[in-house]
Amino acid sequence: MAEGRAFGVLGLFSDPALLLAAVPKLRARGLGRVQAYTPYPVHGLGEALGLRRSPLGGMVLVMGLLGTATAFLFQWWMNSVDYPLFTGGKDPSSWQAFVPIMFEVTVLFATFTAGLGMLVLLNKLPAFWHPFLDSEASRAATRDRFALAIEAEGEVFDAAAAEAALMVVGAGSIEVLPGLPPPRRVPLETLLGLAAGGAVACCLAGAAMYWGVKLFPVLPPMSHMLAQPRLDAQQRGRRAPAEGSVARGRLPYPFEKPEQARGLGNPLPRTEEVLRLGRKVFAHNCLICHGPLADGTPILTAAYGGRPANLQSRKYLGLSDGEIYHTIMKGENAMPRLGDGFTEDERWAVIHYIRALQRAQHAKDGDL
Amino acid sequence: MTLAMTALGGLAAAATFFVCGPQRFWANWLVWMLMLLSAGLGALFLTALEHLTGARWSVPLRRSAERVSGLLVPACAAAVLALFALPVLYPWAGPEAAHHPLIAAKAGWLNVPFFAARALACAALWLVSWRVFAGGSLRQDRSRDAALSERARRYAPFFMVVMGLTTLVVAFDWVSSLSPEWYSDVIGVYLFAGSFLAGLAAVTLTVGHLKERGRLTELRFDHVYSLGAWLFAFTVFWSYIAFAQYLLMWYADLPEEVFWYAQRSRGAWRGVSLALGLLHFVIPFFALLPRDAKGDLRRLRWVAALVLGAHFLDLYWLVFPVLGARPPFSWPELGFAGFFIGVSLLWMRRALRQGADMPVGDPGLAEGLAFKL
Ligand code: HEC
Repeated sequence: MAEGRAFGVLGLFSDPALLLAAVPKLRARGLGRVQAYTPYPVHGLGEALGLRRSPLGGMVLVMGLLGTATAFLFQWWMNSVDYPLFTGGKDPSSWQAFVPIMFEVTVLFATFTAGLGMLVLLNKLPAFWHPFLDSEASRAATRDRFALAIEAEGEVFDAAAAEAALMVVGAGSIEVLPGLPPPRRVPLETLLGLAAGGAVACCLAGAAMYWGVKLFPVLPPMSHMLAQPRLDAQQRGRRAPAEGSVARGRLPYPFEKPEQARGLGNPLPRTEEVLRLGRKVFAHNCLICHGPLADGTPILTAAYGGRPANLQSRKYLGLSDGEIYHTIMKGENAMPRLGDGFTEDERWAVIHYIRALQRAQHAKDGDL
Repeated sequence: MTLAMTALGGLAAAATFFVCGPQRFWANWLVWMLMLLSAGLGALFLTALEHLTGARWSVPLRRSAERVSGLLVPACAAAVLALFALPVLYPWAGPEAAHHPLIAAKAGWLNVPFFAARALACAALWLVSWRVFAGGSLRQDRSRDAALSERARRYAPFFMVVMGLTTLVVAFDWVSSLSPEWYSDVIGVYLFAGSFLAGLAAVTLTVGHLKERGRLTELRFDHVYSLGAWLFAFTVFWSYIAFAQYLLMWYADLPEEVFWYAQRSRGAWRGVSLALGLLHFVIPFFALLPRDAKGDLRRLRWVAALVLGAHFLDLYWLVFPVLGARPPFSWPELGFAGFFIGVSLLWMRRALRQGADMPVGDPGLAEGLAFKL
């Protein structure tokens, strides 16, 4: 027997049914905590051992909901507050698009809580030693035997009585588990071997890095979107409609020169609803080039190249509604022709909105 | 009481035809036909699944599932009668279909004789399967013949194929061809999810009813818990499929797909869609989440009733938008509910008197009763 107080006494059973039958008898004796070590979960064992309900479920629920909320807030803030990007004509704060990520993050938080919570909180890991692992029985109990242990609880533990009790319920190969780990010394050769192996691995990795960088050309950064063998997905502006076609509900646009369009008047009233529509069209289509105030400060990087007009400058303040309409319909140099994508109302509404922006920047005393 | 409800409901249903017109009548009829069908098929699927996998936990519950699957008989009768709804509800069966290029292109599949042939073939396959599983099991009560279990075990894989194909046919024919321009590949899985869920809920209600009457006394927490776990799992599965279908169509925004959701997200239908999400997912999900809720039959019965209600709403939501932008709900719908619930209850009452409450002839019953989680 090992010195010091024993951790517990353990016996083996060949059949899970015998083990199950023995548990209540041993628990009734009150010799110590009854613990089972089995190669697979035995139905009904948890109940027989009187294990308390695991607190993990509640933790997982809380963390899962936290994951849902985190993912939602994260996406919502990114996509609709911090840097709204309009894709596919959809509102950047559309909740539908957030759901897959919310689902994933919920699962992520929940499973990590379950896994780590089980290992750290309930199994009390990291533990570098457990008396069971050193026992003879641990081999059998990870294969085809079922072990039952009576483990010391509190101050007094009567190992002999526990042994006898196990014997009575039919356990075989009874073994006493030591309370303290046997003294261990790591041999010098092992340490030296580890150090040498580490040094060799480092040298190899260093050499591989050196020669790898030398021999292989530096790879360019990924640019799949730009270098694809088909219509440039990043092309500027919309594609023009097919030659000679007229979209349903749109009239063909007759003018070629801005002067011809100068006389067109805005048919829409300047109501709040119209301005709201105009703001939406502007935000989705014009803002990226002309800037939020239409003052020609684009959100695009310098790589875009074009110089969007400053619609707040004197030159453009003088444009008539008709001329702006013409620009929308026909484009102007680097300004793409966008009008085909809008309804008639949207075209005129965005002109109202640009007027409102201009008025806001050049307010007269009477506006205050 | 049930008889009075059925009779009154039947009167109201018949009156619907003359007062509100055949459209509303057949729409209601279709919803309730699908309701009985999905509950019956779902329960039969549970039965077949047990035979297929050799599951033991569900053996003590299997008789209840077999009894619920008997609802297939009235469902098939309703389906045959529902063939009269074709010219009324289904645009492809009307004269103007020939002028619509999209619909005309589908005429090879969507024409009345072929449709009727498919519907009858499906009904025949269901009834045969029901005879094999439920009828064989009843015979086993008396004969205690293990060969009958073996026969069911051999038939089960075949039934899985039948179930898959016929559910797909029901989904494409009865449901999605109401809007023949529309198509969704996943609608069959969607309907299967709802159907199995409805079957499970109906089995739960049956078990709860029997247990309350002091029958099925050997049924323990472990069995009920497993049933609850199924309900929970398929609540999530249904939601997953339903949302997957919605998300793809919403994102792609293709006119031939998205109009279907547009119909269901405008005006009063928007409220119905939201209610569907709430009643079919959010509430049952959280109600079934705690461990105790899954094992406590009294709580489970409430959830099962809710799930059946939500399944009705689901079918209503699938069918009724073809009637127009306003979801109608008043005495005709209540009348139909009274009639079909009454018919189902009468049918179940008869079934509950046949045979023992558990498959006493099944060699796996003892093991099933001893089942522990
Ligand atoms: C791809 C970037 C881009 C977008 C998007 C864009 N613009 Fe422009 N816009 C330009 C550039 C560049 C110019 C300067 C063209 C020039 O005169 O060379 C310009 C010029 C203009 C002009 C002055 C044209 C003139 O007569 O000289 C108007 C008016 C205008 N844009 C309106 C709009 C409106 C309204 C929208 C949204 C519907 C819009 N733009 C969207 C880049 C853009």
